[in-house]
Amino acid sequence: METSAIGQARPQINAREKVLGRARYAGDLKLAGMLHARLLRAPHAHARIVSVDTSAARALAGVRAVATGADVPDRRWGVGHKQQHVLARGVVRFVGEEVAAVVAETPEIAEEALDLIRVEYEELAPLLDPALSLDPGVPQVHEGGNLSEEINIDRGDVDAAFAGADLIHEETYTTHSQYPGYMEPMATLAEVDGAGRLNVWTSTQSVFLARQRLAEALDRPISSIRVIQPTVGGGFGGKIIEERSSVIAAFLATLVDRPVRLGLSRLDDILSGCFSVPATIRLKMGMTRDGTIVAKEVDILADCGAYAGLAGEVMTVTAMRSDNMQRIRNIRTRARLVYTHTMPRGAFRGFGGAQMSFALNSHMATMAEMLGLDVIELHRKNAIGPGETSVHDWKIGSCELPACLDQVSEAIGWGEKRSRAKAGGVLRRGVGMAAAMHVSGNRTIGNWDGSTILLKVNEDGRAVVHTGESDMGQGAFTMLAQICAETLGIPVAHVTVAAPDTDNSPYCIGTLASRVTINGGMAMVKAAEEARATILAAAAAKLGCDAEDLALVDGVIRSADGAHTAPLAEICRYHIYRHGGEGIYVKGSHDPQTVRFDGDFRGNIAPAYSFAAQAVEVEVDTETGQVRLVETYLSDDCGVAINPLAVHGQSNGAAVQALGWTLYEELHFEGGRVINGNLADYTMATADAVPMMHSMIVEGYEPNGPLGAKGASETAILPGAAAIANAVYDAIGVRITDLPITPEKILAGLAELEEASLA
Amino acid sequence: MSHHWISLTLNGETIEAEVPANRLLSDFLRDQLALTGTKRGCETGVCGACSILIDGEVSKSCLSLAVQAHGKTITTVEGLAQGQALHVLQAAFMEHGGLQCGYCTPGFLIAAADLLSRNTSPDDAEIRKALSGNICRCTGYQGIVDAVRAAAENLNGT
Ligand code: FES
Ligand code: FES
Repeated sequence: METSAIGQARPQINAREKVLGRARYAGDLKLAGMLHARLLRAPHAHARIVSVDTSAARALAGVRAVATGADVPDRRWGVGHKQQHVLARGVVRFVGEEVAAVVAETPEIAEEALDLIRVEYEELAPLLDPALSLDPGVPQVHEGGNLSEEINIDRGDVDAAFAGADLIHEETYTTHSQYPGYMEPMATLAEVDGAGRLNVWTSTQSVFLARQRLAEALDRPISSIRVIQPTVGGGFGGKIIEERSSVIAAFLATLVDRPVRLGLSRLDDILSGCFSVPATIRLKMGMTRDGTIVAKEVDILADCGAYAGLAGEVMTVTAMRSDNMQRIRNIRTRARLVYTHTMPRGAFRGFGGAQMSFALNSHMATMAEMLGLDVIELHRKNAIGPGETSVHDWKIGSCELPACLDQVSEAIGWGEKRSRAKAGGVLRRGVGMAAAMHVSGNRTIGNWDGSTILLKVNEDGRAVVHTGESDMGQGAFTMLAQICAETLGIPVAHVTVAAPDTDNSPYCIGTLASRVTINGGMAMVKAAEEARATILAAAAAKLGCDAEDLALVDGVIRSADGAHTAPLAEICRYHIYRHGGEGIYVKGSHDPQTVRFDGDFRGNIAPAYSFAAQAVEVEVDTETGQVRLVETYLSDDCGVAINPLAVHGQSNGAAVQALGWTLYEELHFEGGRVINGNLADYTMATADAVPMMHSMIVEGYEPNGPLGAKGASETAILPGAAAIANAVYDAIGVRITDLPITPEKILAGLAELEEASLA
Repeated sequence: MSHHWISLTLNGETIEAEVPANRLLSDFLRDQLALTGTKRGCETGVCGACSILIDGEVSKSCLSLAVQAHGKTITTVEGLAQGQALHVLQAAFMEHGGLQCGYCTPGFLIAAADLLSRNTSPDDAEIRKALSGNICRCTGYQGIVDAVRAAAENLNGT
């Protein structure tokens, strides 16, 4: 018998089909008569479309449809700002914007037809530098100016608090854009069926948000669209609601009476993918001599590129999330989001948290040194704790941040490594750390952060879970199956999770804001409890005893005294085959007791908050400027870990993604054009570039979470950059404040130090 | 476009097919033979998602043409298991967190199979080096390295 379905490392329930190569991703799907689509992209950062001549493309044999901005619905789509047409109309605002599309019998014909489309552009001056965006006289990206959003937050008495501070430190940090880099480039298969409904199989983190967006962009009723989620090859935020290719593919399907597949090449995916929001952060902080943070002033300039998408929400996170990690009361923050004629930026794992985490943790390390304190002690001193309410009214439930700090400092040998004598020489080592928090769930998406599970228990006693929450590789389906099994009392192997499908799944928001484990998991607990009660009541009727005396364990119903027993299958059949019987089909819904922000960004938006700390050791080659990660220890406070294998996998993956952002990945532009839009030149770390990843879990218990769990994964990407920057400083005394940390910056920093020492 | 008849041994079976001269081997496998376990991740030979074994050696199928497969013996991820019995690497990847989204997995399994055919007890550095032609964005590689090490130990009975 299984002891417990949770808490033990277990393979994902869909791992077998994946290792067999039989999991089906959107680009693997094929329907009879399927056509292929290809996209023509703008070569200019800013230009007026004077004319588009598609006649030669249309005339090519095998071409079924050619579309331009003139053919798409007038209605504009967008998250908050309704700014985009399905294909560019009138003006292009970034290099790579989709100007035309071809549907043809083969991908090769579609490619060939793209070359036959003649677009005449009138080039306009582009605005490429966000720092100039608000200057007078610069090119305007949209009517109404280049300022997309501005938020201002004022708490306490900042000026008085600074006046009373013993130490004030101010610094400006810059962070760059990161490509989500999911290994599956965006792919979509769409068709209008004989009944006139639009069926869309797409690589998405949310089928319901995808459907809503399609309804808006294609200007058709929501219920005329069905979105089905195939296996998803990673998302990392880039496949929520900002990518454009699924919208274009679905639109193209409405032009022809055959299915259309649009699978992006890697270059296409990079040009149209959603990179993270780059932000410049000026941070000023005041502390008393003992390290208590008394005041903070923040000024952020973030660049959303040509269209706002989710970038405004991302910037809000950059602006205020990390404030809640500490017991600070006096804060003044201004954050501005501006447009440029560059690719749209938006949601990415951590949702803006990584940008500020880099600034805050770099700052903490610097100020700790100025005060002669250990930075870990500084974190500990200021850390918020369980039961406390933060400056923005977040109610902290479980919080194991101090334990995370203990765990990483012990694992890396912090005290010893920090106090070792600095060796000279070419290769120099240093250690650094950082701490971070993230939400588990977020009510700011709308006035609902709920989740619903429909649970069916078949006549053989096995369960099918219907959910609209998506598994993009992170293991959500396995988590649901484990909670279902544990709560209902059946083996995990007896649970199937049906792929999200807007026709068959209950409405759910989908995978974002680390909300699925906590909210989907709670709905799962409720549904499984309901099913169990239904089953035990039926069993009591059949066995002639009280339901309270019965338990369902490992697929068998038993009374406490052992007098009554029945296999689950027998009871499930009995539930149907009797007068007035029916199959077992129950529902569990859970909407956490959270609130939306008020007009002043106050309010407890999430049912729980997750914390993490990371300590790293680096080696800096002072001749080449190369930084090598020698060791990393990441400790995650995710409440009860439903599946430790999944949590470690998420933490390790996040840590390497953070390492990539910090050291290796950098988008290069030339005149607004991405010049390294391929995986050879946009370098994501490979196995030989990273050391053994140590992931650790501090097990707490989250009272608002399912079986004590809260979200994991996003928190883990937050501390990496600052931990590395702090370790570099420890190694060579060079403080890098603008990411990424490149060999050039290291060498320049060393040269500056040398100059200063000679002066 | 000229077409060619090719014959090859694919996952243990002899097959013949007619292919356009310019068709990539990866596209031939995926689109013509419906063996979609072989993935497209970059089509420029960088990510390794399209890796297959050609005459027992790992090769990126997006870098060669289908016609070049003529007379060769090819194993794709679909050919690793023996019926219902998983290849020792497949079982180890499941057990040790060698995959999450699974998109890179076929390529890593093939690269690892190639490694273990040459080196039955690789250390971690050798494993990492052998897998350095593949990219995984989900796992941070630790689960993959653990899985390959465990598979090697399993094969060696240690
Ligand atoms: S698709 Fe062949 S190496 Fe990436
Ligand atoms: S498991 Fe997703 S890319 Fe490797």
